[in-house]
Amino acid sequence: MALALRSINLNDSSLDYLDQQLDRARAGQSSAIAVLIRAHQRSVYSLALRMLGAREPAEDLAQDVFMQMSDHLKQIESNQHLVFWLRKVTTHKAIDQLRHRARIEWTALDENQAISDPTEHRDPLLQRHLGALLQNLTPDARAVVLLRYQEDLDPTDIARTLDMPINTVKSHLKRSLESLRERLEEVLP
Amino acid sequence: MKKDLESELREALRPVAPSADFTRRLIAQMEAKSAPAAAPPRARPLARPLWWVSGLAASLLIALGVQQHVRAQRELANGLEARRQVLQALHMTSQKLDLAYEAVKHQSSSLLDSESGA
Repeated sequence: MALALRSINLNDSSLDYLDQQLDRARAGQSSAIAVLIRAHQRSVYSLALRMLGAREPAEDLAQDVFMQMSDHLKQIESNQHLVFWLRKVTTHKAIDQLRHRARIEWTALDENQAISDPTEHRDPLLQRHLGALLQNLTPDARAVVLLRYQEDLDPTDIARTLDMPINTVKSHLKRSLESLRERLEEVLP
Repeated sequence: MKKDLESELREALRPVAPSADFTRRLIAQMEAKSAPAAAPPRARPLARPLWWVSGLAASLLIALGVQQHVRAQRELANGLEARRQVLQALHMTSQKLDLAYEAVKHQSSSLLDSESGA
């Protein structure tokens, strides 16, 4: 299983280090659990933020995910397994929350600005519009796009993470890109 | 255009950090959650005084029971002694009455004899 770890930018030595921390965390050492949280919180929080569209519910969801992680550490075999598990639980929880909302009140464009990291922008206006347009996708399509372009997963791993047929993943990616391109041309001709 | 859009998406979707105190709040929440699980070992020292109180109460009840039993036995013995004394008194009274009766009877017969002799 070739899981991409771009979002936490880990090399082999840090993966070994996190595997050691996982062993210590399984033994109940809270300092090791804190290391695991710090290593993965950006990925989990960013997925939650871009799925839910607002900071506060995103932090609540990320906290839920990490609380659940601390209860399931004995079932986590390695740091790679942990990364897969965190993405899976985060996206499933977010999709469940979105499906339970009768009507999704998306956040204002100004708040969506904060969904991207301002220090990294090449074209702030384009980035801001992309963040806002992402919120118009269905929850499943949004999760597929986030796992593809935030987490750098290939369609096979996305299908495993979301328990979705690979053809559905490819279809979501194709239609989402077309939709984003069309809307982007409307707002930025 | 497709390549550009995908590359722009990757740029737009770079991971961002949660609030500065996110980890601290999360660890505090985990510790608060695990605190009730640590409560049962603390309950043991509390159970010991309760055990001693129960033992003391049981001992007091047993002592009271024994005391009641001894008192009842003593009262029974006293009652039996009183009964024995009453019976003895009755027996002595009966003997004295017999003696009195014999004396009266003897005097009566002596008087009859003296009257018939005269």
